[in-house]
Amino acid sequence: MNDIDIELICVRKTYGNNLVVNDINLAIPKGEFVSLLGPSGCGKTTTLNMIAGFQEPTGGEIRIRGRNQAGVPPEKRNIGLVFQNYALFPHMTVAENVGFGLKMKGTPRAEIEQTVRTALKSVHLEGLEARYPKELSGGQQQRTALARAIAPRPSVLLLDEPLSNLDLKLREAMRVELKEIQQQLGMTFVYVTHDQEEAMAMSDRVVVMSGGVITQEDKPEHIYNAPRTSFVADFIGKSNIFAVSLRPAADDRQEIVINGSSIALAIAADQPKVATAKFCCIRPEDVRVVGNDVSAKDANVLDGTICKTVNLGAHLDLWIAVDRDIMIKALVRSSRSNQLKVGNPVSISIAPAAIRLLAE
Amino acid sequence: MTIVATDSPAAPARRAFTLRGYVPLFPPFAVLLLFFAVPIGMMIGISVQDPKTSQFSMASYQRFLTDGLIIAGLFRTILMSGLVAICVTVMAYPVAYFLARSTSRWRAVVFALAIAPELAGVVLRTYGWLIILEDRGFVNDALIWLGFVSSPLPLAKNLFGVVVGLTHVVLPFGILALLTSIQGIDPNIEKAAQILGASRLSVIRHILLPLSIPGIVSSLLISFTMAASAYATPALLGGARFKVLATMIFEQIMFYINWPMAAVMAIVLLVLMLAITFAGGRVETRLHKKLNI
Amino acid sequence: MNRLLSGLFWISLCLILAFITLPLLVVVAASLSPSSTVTFSPADWTMKWYAALWASKWLDPFILSAKIAVIVSLVSGVLGALGAYAIAYEKCPGSEAIMAFLLSPLAVPQIVKGVAIVIFLSSAGLYALLGTPGLIAAHIVLTLPFAARMIATSIYNFDKNLDRAAQILGASKWQRIRHVLLPLIKPGVFSGMTFAFIISFNNIPLSVFLVRPGQTTLPITVINYMEYSLDPVLAAVNVASLIFILATIFLFEKLGGFSAQIHGGSK
Repeated sequence: MNDIDIELICVRKTYGNNLVVNDINLAIPKGEFVSLLGPSGCGKTTTLNMIAGFQEPTGGEIRIRGRNQAGVPPEKRNIGLVFQNYALFPHMTVAENVGFGLKMKGTPRAEIEQTVRTALKSVHLEGLEARYPKELSGGQQQRTALARAIAPRPSVLLLDEPLSNLDLKLREAMRVELKEIQQQLGMTFVYVTHDQEEAMAMSDRVVVMSGGVITQEDKPEHIYNAPRTSFVADFIGKSNIFAVSLRPAADDRQEIVINGSSIALAIAADQPKVATAKFCCIRPEDVRVVGNDVSAKDANVLDGTICKTVNLGAHLDLWIAVDRDIMIKALVRSSRSNQLKVGNPVSISIAPAAIRLLAE
Repeated sequence: MTIVATDSPAAPARRAFTLRGYVPLFPPFAVLLLFFAVPIGMMIGISVQDPKTSQFSMASYQRFLTDGLIIAGLFRTILMSGLVAICVTVMAYPVAYFLARSTSRWRAVVFALAIAPELAGVVLRTYGWLIILEDRGFVNDALIWLGFVSSPLPLAKNLFGVVVGLTHVVLPFGILALLTSIQGIDPNIEKAAQILGASRLSVIRHILLPLSIPGIVSSLLISFTMAASAYATPALLGGARFKVLATMIFEQIMFYINWPMAAVMAIVLLVLMLAITFAGGRVETRLHKKLNI
Repeated sequence: MNRLLSGLFWISLCLILAFITLPLLVVVAASLSPSSTVTFSPADWTMKWYAALWASKWLDPFILSAKIAVIVSLVSGVLGALGAYAIAYEKCPGSEAIMAFLLSPLAVPQIVKGVAIVIFLSSAGLYALLGTPGLIAAHIVLTLPFAARMIATSIYNFDKNLDRAAQILGASKWQRIRHVLLPLIKPGVFSGMTFAFIISFNNIPLSVFLVRPGQTTLPITVINYMEYSLDPVLAAVNVASLIFILATIFLFEKLGGFSAQIHGGSK
């Protein structure tokens, strides 16, 4: 257990009658990049604040490097934290900001200077030492905040939606960079975000939270391909989610019926058995629009009418009505937009393996 | 990952507030208690003492209510403060409106002009008004030289002089009160009314004035209370002929050495202030509710 | 119609601004005029009234007023910062009631505070405190609420995340106060102190009860003199003290940089 950096044991937080975090258990090994992902109000920020020590859990225990942190103030936890609004000290230069943590520990000046230089180099901010935060761009402020957090070499770095104030291009570039920095330093990163793309792009492990509990924790690709609940399926990526009922079909197989309609879909035999499947999830990119030339090998062919199209540049979002109340989203290449006009009848095909059953 | 069962009890809330947090309050509290709360208490105690025997007596309160000169002073105070409140608010409004809406570089100049006199102190301004308004002052000299009047007009040492001087003293506060209120009105509302065909006058009457009523009330309020409690301006510009509560209190202390009477007058002035502030505050909250701001 | 209204608006604005500036201009002109008749022709102007100020009659009260104002602004700044810290930073329980108590002197007219203090000092047998000590105490009561309010406002505006950032970087409470909180609220503290200085230096309604012979502040000396004469030397005194106040504001600004706060930026 020595390689566990952070451990949450039955951690609970209540404000009055309001249960914000409900008995969370989580162990984060050293050097892992973990994302706490969820919509606002899911308890992820509260969890982060409890790890940092700004809030004390109502129940349970938080251990950092095996030590119970109850009653340990934030300044004694040796943790780094990057704030959403960066929280740079406006009266200090970049170098003073980055060196602040070491200065507070009484580190000799020469050593501070050396560490500041290294930290700034690792975030590519050389030459800006004498600037004040006001004189920096958003991206530079973000890097300064990161350098300040890593300069004292904490064992764990917490990041609270650090990229949410940057514009899209910069945000995508920073994702790559953050991941590189994390790997170089070998530091444990706990990254709080509501942006699923961000979490997928960087994390070794994604912890999806909702309503104060952990809904699923897994590798990013597993979270995407094998969501366990309709909440996860809906929150991570786009998906068609239908309430369904299971029924036996020919050849000892099973098929599902979308509730409130007569649409039946065959499902793969190797589908993990979900005894009480209530929902199914189909990713839009798994919906094949086959036009009118349906071939025999196509499974689960449905006829429908295009109701709405949205051009996303490379791709086209289609809403296809296959029954009175059933709408299926599909994602196709834009090059086909000529054939796919609103009002056109189309046939779609869904591979049985693309249909995932969900218990809740 | 095995989860180790924890037997440690829930941690106590570390953020619980301890009495140590109150320690920084001791010095300011001590000063305010000793030199504010205790003196006010003693003043109230003195007010119910007989001026000569120091026995318990309501004589000073009785005298306040029956002495025609004192009652006249009270009404003079109220009349003066009411006039100042109206003059200040009427004059502050255009300035505040300009400051709230202008984007020109004159805005900074006007702002400085409006606020700067406050740095000069009451003496300088009162002195200025005296040399402008007195019998052989600036205005009278000019009027006589121009032949409009043959003998000097009584401009100082009366109600007129005091109202002019106090209006000058209080005006910056009226401007600030109205400025806050007008800045809170979305300029687009005025534009919307204009687009809908309202003339400038109807915009003022139907949009601007109704929406700035809270500001007008707070300007009236602050002007009234500042004027009623002012001492130096009435003392210098009103002179012996125009006495208000504040100057009468000073006389009771310094000339008549009648502390109980001074205390009673001070308490009446204080109660008047608090009543006006309270009533005005009620009106303001009601207006804010009504206008939804 | 619209044109008439806007014309009226500009004329009234100019007249009001003239009303505001007129007494100040008149006093400046009077201080430079050779006789008690005010003249606006610069050719006749003289500095003799200013020269007349260099006499103990005016210098002593000036020094006393300046001394009192400096002490009052320092004490009010420190006491106000302590109160504001407990209320706005520590957020101690009951902070609203405590703030109301700290601000309560504002609700009481100065002349009433003056009566109360003079009755207190006299009947508590503290005659010895009349004069300078009493003036200082009374001025502190007067200015402390302003200082406390201004400093509390700047603490409320202080981004609490900066405090948390310093904390997670290992700064103890004292280190956070010294390296983060104080430098960032310094403009608020200095504007509170400047305010206290100006109020104390110009004060009449409290001082008028507390001065004693030989310990008379400048404004009281001036109004006493005004009872007898409107000599242009008074104009010179007033202009000189206004210049002194402006210089002090400039100095405080240099030290505390509070105009940066007004313009919404630091550094």
